[in-house]
Amino acid sequence: MSYYFAIIGTSDNPIFEYEFGTAKAGGDGVPRFPEQARHMNQFIVNASLDNVEDVQWGGGQMYLKKIDRYYNNYISAFITGSNTKFLLLHHPTTPSTTSTRASTSIPANPTSPQTEEAIKQFFVEVYENWLKTVMNPFYTQGMRIDSPVFRGRVAAAGRKYL
Amino acid sequence: MNSPNNVSSPEPVASSMLRMPKNRASMDNHSMISSTSTLPYRASNPSVSSLFASTTTPTGSRSSSPIGGVRSRMTGSVFGGTPGDGQQMAPAEQPGDPRNLILQAFVPHIAVHTSIDTHELLRDKGIEGGLWELLRPFGERVQGKVNVRDSIGAGKTWDDFSVRFVQLGDGLEPPELPRKSEDGIGLTGNGEKPDGKSTSQRSRTGGNIPQIESLVDRHLTHAEDFPGMNGAGAEDYLNFKEGLNQNLDTSSPFYTLYLRRLLSGFPLMPHETFSHPVACVIAISSRNTNPIDALRTLYQESKLGPRRFPIWVDSEYLRYYVLVHDEERDDITKSIALFEQMKKHFGLHCHLLRLRSSNCVSTDDDSFRMPRCEWVSASEELADIKSREVLEDFENSYPCIYESDMTAIKTFIREMVTQSVIPSMERCVSTWNDQVASRRRGIGGRFMSLSKRWTGFGGSSRNSTGGSSGSNSNYDAVQGYYLPNTPEAIMRKLADYAFMLRDWKLAQSTYDLLRSDFNNDKAWRYHAAANEMAAISTLLIPQTLSPKVRAETIEQMLETASYSYLTRCGASYGAFRCLALGMELLRLRGGSATEDAAKWGSKLLEYKVAGPIGEALLKERISICYASKKGAGSGLWGARTRKSAMWSIYAADAWLTLKKIQQSRLRLDEAIAKYDTLPNKDSLAQFTHANNYLQALQKAVQRASYPESAVEGPGAVDDLIDTSIEESESFTSWPHRRSLMGASLESAPLQRALADVKDEATPSLQFE
Repeated sequence: MSYYFAIIGTSDNPIFEYEFGTAKAGGDGVPRFPEQARHMNQFIVNASLDNVEDVQWGGGQMYLKKIDRYYNNYISAFITGSNTKFLLLHHPTTPSTTSTRASTSIPANPTSPQTEEAIKQFFVEVYENWLKTVMNPFYTQGMRIDSPVFRGRVAAAGRKYL
Repeated sequence: MNSPNNVSSPEPVASSMLRMPKNRASMDNHSMISSTSTLPYRASNPSVSSLFASTTTPTGSRSSSPIGGVRSRMTGSVFGGTPGDGQQMAPAEQPGDPRNLILQAFVPHIAVHTSIDTHELLRDKGIEGGLWELLRPFGERVQGKVNVRDSIGAGKTWDDFSVRFVQLGDGLEPPELPRKSEDGIGLTGNGEKPDGKSTSQRSRTGGNIPQIESLVDRHLTHAEDFPGMNGAGAEDYLNFKEGLNQNLDTSSPFYTLYLRRLLSGFPLMPHETFSHPVACVIAISSRNTNPIDALRTLYQESKLGPRRFPIWVDSEYLRYYVLVHDEERDDITKSIALFEQMKKHFGLHCHLLRLRSSNCVSTDDDSFRMPRCEWVSASEELADIKSREVLEDFENSYPCIYESDMTAIKTFIREMVTQSVIPSMERCVSTWNDQVASRRRGIGGRFMSLSKRWTGFGGSSRNSTGGSSGSNSNYDAVQGYYLPNTPEAIMRKLADYAFMLRDWKLAQSTYDLLRSDFNNDKAWRYHAAANEMAAISTLLIPQTLSPKVRAETIEQMLETASYSYLTRCGASYGAFRCLALGMELLRLRGGSATEDAAKWGSKLLEYKVAGPIGEALLKERISICYASKKGAGSGLWGARTRKSAMWSIYAADAWLTLKKIQQSRLRLDEAIAKYDTLPNKDSLAQFTHANNYLQALQKAVQRASYPESAVEGPGAVDDLIDTSIEESESFTSWPHRRSLMGASLESAPLQRALADVKDEATPSLQFE
């Protein structure tokens, strides 16, 4: 499974983007998006903001679960108190490599409850790190986050859970 | 809902009369423009371009709604809004409205069977195809209001009722089949060459997706070459920039055309009876020497002779006897006497049609141009376009008709439809409903079907016989049909009749019963068709469907139908029709149903049943589906503006690869206008890859549409372009590329070289 993670600021601008692959089930953590998926991912994530705006008022949860789907791309969302959105696009690899136990494993099945839970843990961990980053006195709201430490932490969380 | 031009009956004729001079005028305008670009096809005289009128003229208003009909509303998910606030289905006004299309597509078919002398009479009139060709355009709009009683006896008035006239035996052969021997349906005592006939007859059968593609392509090419042809309407359509919201429901004329051709000329199939004849017009002329016997022979031919239908078509349909009186050669008193005799022999289903037999030319005083048929199959229209392109003398290329003839035909059709066809259909519906369907609906019927299933279990080896045509199934699995006298076939017919009479409730409940029957019998094609029509009729019933109910019924039915069509039967046409109609009807429901509509649209893309043109049109349509979800409050929360814009961009890209620059530019403008309505207008600009892609697309379209001005650039676009664009440039295949090279600055060859290098590196932009 390949992931595209984006943090969307309050004016719908991306303040952090990161692509990574799964580290579970022998994955090497490298994203395997085709070349034209670069812009596609951004279009899809941008378009799924529509769905975030729709469901964010529906419940009190910060984790909005899977909110959108574009063919084989699934989008999960997490919304913070300051209306910053975390969006994770996950694109399962072709099912040719999957084995029989694949149905519950996180990299193969984007709709299973296990995946949902793993993504939640990922989001929560990123949320903690993001809080620490934005509390930096030199950071103003809506700025791009280019701290390598934060990037490293997101990568670590991705490796850990996804 | 009577717009003024509904009431006036000669409206189509009048408008087509008006169109001619306009064509000529605009030809002059465009002769200069067209001289600069090479035309991909031959001489385009006005008679050809008027064939493209269905996509170049604006869609006039036309009402289909029943008088006093209640429109449904539904509540959306979170931002559903208050009921009644934008949630009500707007009345179907435009002919492009899908409900209108469905109403006009699923109409009773009336076969026409004439004697040789009638055929000769019509040939003298200049109508080659015979009586059905003369009647056909007028059947598309029955004059005046038509009152239809539904199953509970409540009358409803429709002012857009239509019937389809076909030649006896039309639709039997799928057009893509290699020509079989001529013994099929071609040869009759009809005084025609069998060869030409069977091919033309075959071309009248629709349901051929590749042909629809090429036809729409034809129209698109025409629109590309003559933007703004046919006056102000096209101008309006092609150049609209703002007012997205107002234009939402006016679908692209090309999409409407695509849908209409998809719904034209249903092939005659066992699993649905829409194209089975509801009645048959048996006609002789006053030239006949032995009229009563001729009528009897014709009747026998339609029942037993070589022109009879396959055994799965019920042959017990209404026969309507017509005496065509030649006003110029024959004596009316004699004809009236004969007509009285006919009435005595054949009962009330008779008509005396008085026509003038001489050929009408456009210079005659009371001549009118024959209205064009809207519901012809794609192959027929293609053939028409081709033959007209070759034609030199476009003035006389249209058949004309005397006003008196036109009035006579209109009266005839109205009388036949209101006094014979509809009453007999109503009678059939009520009989079948009482005798077959209500027995199934009651408690006993449930037990019957239950016990049927239980004996199936008890029989233990019933399924293993494979044929499943055991003692308790009426389905002939080997041949794949039910005989017309089995309860299943009758119920299907009942449902179809009810559907054609627009009694959606009865149709829906009957289709619903049939779904399980066909499933038990493993009659997959029937199963798919019943699911399809159940979904469509449920969506047509003006009532609220909660999202939950919708998911349980509509979703399920569409899913089953498309699965059965595609996987079990390999019938991509059925799947296409079913999902396209489902998508349109869901879209009209508004609220969260638009989401489903878009979902089915993308499913349709996924199934790859449409060709490239259809896919581009579908992308466009998905964009419109998303756009028709209205947001709530000041922030328009819950709208799907970004999604809609995204699909517009996809459509633009698809059109560009198809070299339909006009369309591409339109879609792109739409997308940008949509992004501009967002609270954060430039949010996409911050997504680097997406933004680069969008700008590259803009630039490519810009270049393709204005080759000479692209280098200078009209400011606004050029300012945005930075050097990184060159990287993502891989649009090297647009047609005007060469002309751009010729006129450009010295940096152009470098650009070209760069693009060529990048070609290997970046695969062409494709959405998947």
